[in-house]
Amino acid sequence: MIRRLYKLFPNKSVIVRLTVLHVFRALLEGILLGVLVPILNCLLQPQPDFQSIKIWLIIGGIGFLCYLVLTVISSPIGFGASMKLAEQLRNDVMNRVTRLPLGWFTSDKKAKLARIITADTGLIAQLAVTIGAPAIIAVLVPSTIIVVTFFINWKIAVLFLAVMPVALVVLRWTGNIAAEAAIKLEEAATNIAGKAIELGQAQTVLRAAGKGTEGTVQLQQTLDKHRIVYRKGLKRSTLPDLTYTGVVIAGFVAVILSVTFLFIHQSVSIPEAIVLFILAVRFLEPLAYLIELNGALRAMDNAINRVQELLQTPTLPMAKYPVTDIKNASIQIENITFAYGQNPVIENVSFHCPQGSTTALIGASGSGKTTLIRLIARFYDVNNGAIKIGGTDIRQLDYNTMMNDIAIIFQDVYLFDTTIKENLLIAKPDATEAELKEAATAAQLDEMLERLPNGWNTKTGESGLQLSGGERQRVSIARAFLKKARIILIDEAASALDPENEQAISKAIANIASDKNRTVIIIAHRPATIQSANQVIVLDKGKVVENGSPQDLLNQNGHYAKFLQQHQQRKEWKVEG
Amino acid sequence: MSLKSTDKHQNSPNHTADSTKLMSTKALTRLLSPVKNYLIAGCILAFLGSALGLAPYIAIAEIAKLIFKNPDTSSQTIWLWVGIGIVGAFLRLVLLFFSSRVGHVADAEILHKIRVRIVRHLGTMPLGWFRAKGSGVIKKVMTTDLEEMHQLIAHSLREMIGAVTAIAVSIGYLWVVNWQMTLISVAVLLTMYVSFRIAMRSVTTHMNRLINAETKISTSAVEYADGITVVKTFGVGGRLLSRFDNAVKEHTNAFKIWVSETQYSSAISRMFASEVTLLGVLTITGLGFISNGTLTVPDFLPFLIVGIGLPTAIVPAIHGSQGLRKGRLSASNIETVLLQDVIPESNNSQEPQEYSVAFHKVSFAYSENNDVIKDISFECPQGTVTALVGRSGSGKSTLTHLLPRFYDVRQGSITIGGIDIRQMSSEKLLGSMSLVFQDIVLLRDTVRENIRIANPDATDEDIIKATKSAYIHEVIEQLPQGYDTVLGTGNIGLSGGEQQRLTIARAMLSDAPIVVLDEATASLDPDNEVLVQRALSSLVKNKTVIMIAHRLYTISNAHQIIVLQEGTIAEKGTHQQLLNNQSLYATMWEAQVIQC
Repeated sequence: MIRRLYKLFPNKSVIVRLTVLHVFRALLEGILLGVLVPILNCLLQPQPDFQSIKIWLIIGGIGFLCYLVLTVISSPIGFGASMKLAEQLRNDVMNRVTRLPLGWFTSDKKAKLARIITADTGLIAQLAVTIGAPAIIAVLVPSTIIVVTFFINWKIAVLFLAVMPVALVVLRWTGNIAAEAAIKLEEAATNIAGKAIELGQAQTVLRAAGKGTEGTVQLQQTLDKHRIVYRKGLKRSTLPDLTYTGVVIAGFVAVILSVTFLFIHQSVSIPEAIVLFILAVRFLEPLAYLIELNGALRAMDNAINRVQELLQTPTLPMAKYPVTDIKNASIQIENITFAYGQNPVIENVSFHCPQGSTTALIGASGSGKTTLIRLIARFYDVNNGAIKIGGTDIRQLDYNTMMNDIAIIFQDVYLFDTTIKENLLIAKPDATEAELKEAATAAQLDEMLERLPNGWNTKTGESGLQLSGGERQRVSIARAFLKKARIILIDEAASALDPENEQAISKAIANIASDKNRTVIIIAHRPATIQSANQVIVLDKGKVVENGSPQDLLNQNGHYAKFLQQHQQRKEWKVEG
Repeated sequence: MSLKSTDKHQNSPNHTADSTKLMSTKALTRLLSPVKNYLIAGCILAFLGSALGLAPYIAIAEIAKLIFKNPDTSSQTIWLWVGIGIVGAFLRLVLLFFSSRVGHVADAEILHKIRVRIVRHLGTMPLGWFRAKGSGVIKKVMTTDLEEMHQLIAHSLREMIGAVTAIAVSIGYLWVVNWQMTLISVAVLLTMYVSFRIAMRSVTTHMNRLINAETKISTSAVEYADGITVVKTFGVGGRLLSRFDNAVKEHTNAFKIWVSETQYSSAISRMFASEVTLLGVLTITGLGFISNGTLTVPDFLPFLIVGIGLPTAIVPAIHGSQGLRKGRLSASNIETVLLQDVIPESNNSQEPQEYSVAFHKVSFAYSENNDVIKDISFECPQGTVTALVGRSGSGKSTLTHLLPRFYDVRQGSITIGGIDIRQMSSEKLLGSMSLVFQDIVLLRDTVRENIRIANPDATDEDIIKATKSAYIHEVIEQLPQGYDTVLGTGNIGLSGGEQQRLTIARAMLSDAPIVVLDEATASLDPDNEVLVQRALSSLVKNKTVIMIAHRLYTISNAHQIIVLQEGTIAEKGTHQQLLNNQSLYATMWEAQVIQC
């Protein structure tokens, strides 16, 4: 773990300096205890030899002052190191995040990121400093004492020497078993968390089923399981816990017995016996403390694992000599195949979108429409085949150049927690009022801006929650207008829009597509949108099953015709009692 | 919006820090009362263990004293002390082990007990509470908050008792040996304690500043991640990253300020908390006292053996006080949930004989003086379809939430078959209706059990019949384990519309006489819309239906259409009657017809 911790830190000098400081402190602590030996030797004579004591006292005094200085400076140095480490780790993590492929950013991963960038990095930085010192001391002080003891009585020193490795081995064993138990308990707790969320969401269903106050059988089982796992973990750690404390105490008993034995058989003098007793107590106390550090070490280990995992996530590969010039806005999909895991979700798909054309993607959910859009925007790289923009493979294009020429309008639009105006300006920070107005009009924002009390300066709320879904999509369309990107990828909002929004969005999308230089690919749900496209691609289970102009496809009387039929049916639904 | 304001209302009483502390201490005591005996036992064991744990040190000190005072001490006396030391060490091992065990068992037990209590309490809270941010809060109290109490229950209490005992016994023993030297030791400890308190004086302020900075770090990192597509397509990464950088710098600065503000006090407390310091101080003063005759050489030895260990004993006490603070905070979080108002249940619940629904002069407000439903009355005879239309914010959704008692009406009443819904048990009330709203609720269980929960007595045939009428049977059959496929564990390949139909199948199985429906649910998944519509059509057959409608065409055959405007009924009638009215409904109809 120490090695992995060391690896994690970009600036090693901080941690090295701190470690050296604590090693000195620990050695000094042991040596100062050693100085006590001659002092006691002189003191414990029938006639105390104060003259010799003085010399030792001066030596001890100097050591003591050094120790105090080290202690005083160690705390700001420690805190400083901790601060630096946290800062470095956080910057490293974020630096990595900026280079990850867009596909990485799922809600799971974002929750993980939030935890890593605050709790985990903080914990590592804090613990590296706060438990580093005690851990070094708890190991080095006993070691120094062993050395000191050798000068007094080698037999007792050998006894000490025997206790220490045994204690350390048992400590490791204890730690492993405790870690195992902790992992199991965390699993049980995670299950409870899942059930707790379900309990909240399913409350109505549960109550209707008369299970409101007890929850489902699974919930009860999960709660019971947590208790069982907890108690099992306790039972399993009984032996190792007792063993460790037992080893320390056995060492203690052995030392007391042997010193007493040696003393009674006059192998050690009175002062020696007393000194040995004192050293024994000081030797065992730090060892006993080591087990207290186990929990913290484990927590740190887990945090390091999570940070490391993130730092090792592969980034999007970039071309060595990227092309920084996009010749035209045509898009060429050449026999591409892609899988998130084992099973391909896109299989041998090919089509061509000339510059200025509008292509509508249709197909059932799970047919691969969204994945296709994501591949074009390089959320992921294809497994086989190639996607070309203006004739150049997108993997050869400079990423920023490419992103500059693409605007994406998603269903779940992300707006930053600021005003509508600021959200538009993101697309073009130096846009003039006139340009803003033009974009707003094209995106059918005018009506909305008029209605909102603060107009352009209306706050969008966190994640844009203040505005309705349709309104948010209109803002993002305006953003795309303002950016003047030549390629626009749209996932048309399909769900339950109120009639006003639906109308506004259709118009806005029609406005976007009308530009002769703009290439649009749209996941379409409305017949009106599809009918105005130059070509329609029908996807089914990741394959292109139909491809052609709306009129051609209608005549084929295949998937597309069926799609239109269904839409008609949808509109004609009536609820009858 | 309205939900937020109720939240604010609940949090409005402002407590001073002290009264909060007191309240949370009380909350803690109340919460822990079921395991009181365990905790007391743990503390007694810790007390005994720590007291006896000093026996070996005292024994060694006494042996040292004895052999120095009288080199010819009989070996019997020495062995007696050795025996005392060994027995003490052994008892300490056993007692402290059991103390820790009892503490952890108490933790395991109380976690379970409080969780069960929370679940039971949640079952009696107004359903509206769950719609706000319920699930997140439930998750937090049932996991994070309870786990934060672990330190307190399993460790802090016992360890503090143990630490105090050890210190008291040590000081007592040393006092008997030589009170002057003991005073010096106590002075060192006091200096450490005082400087520690000074260093920790501003801990809350600084902690809050750090926590704020940390929140900013996390918010800016998550904002970056959330908006990643915007970031990449618009190249605004730099701006957001500078927000992150600033947050990180702010954190570092807050820390720096704290450290520099407390650098002296914390350095002093560190210095005095060290065994070496005590060793130095005791050696020097001891030698001084010996030379002026205040202290004898043998009496000096216990200070080197027992005295030096004092700082080590204090550490758990400090950790303990931190555990206590965390525990108090969590306890008050947990109690906030446990003290949430329950929805009043009638003692003698009644059962309706038929299932017509009626609203009688109903008014409702999420927050005081701001009625969103104003004096609304209408009747829905059994087996008819009632449609609610109106712009967003007109009160449609609120009306449908009042019928299942997500909230209770402020004035007036709602009846089913003539019986006030507040006189029905929640099981009967909710069992009498199927709610088809936009949120899809599936349990982490097999498909079969997810449907069967609506009617535990249903046979497999009944279930298949329900899934067939919800047009989902074939989809289920194609799942890897068919009806035994467990839902909610990652991607099981059901689209939104398919999940929707699963919940409709559940509603089918319950065959509840009333259906409350949001039409928008049908169009959540455009690829499945036709099938969802068909499923809904079979669900509502012969039921008392109350539905929110967006597309007016859908409800043109409804028995009655209620047009809402700002919480009141603007118009009421059949499609044809309302068109003839040439009013609000007619305008809305016109607008939609043109669009299609």
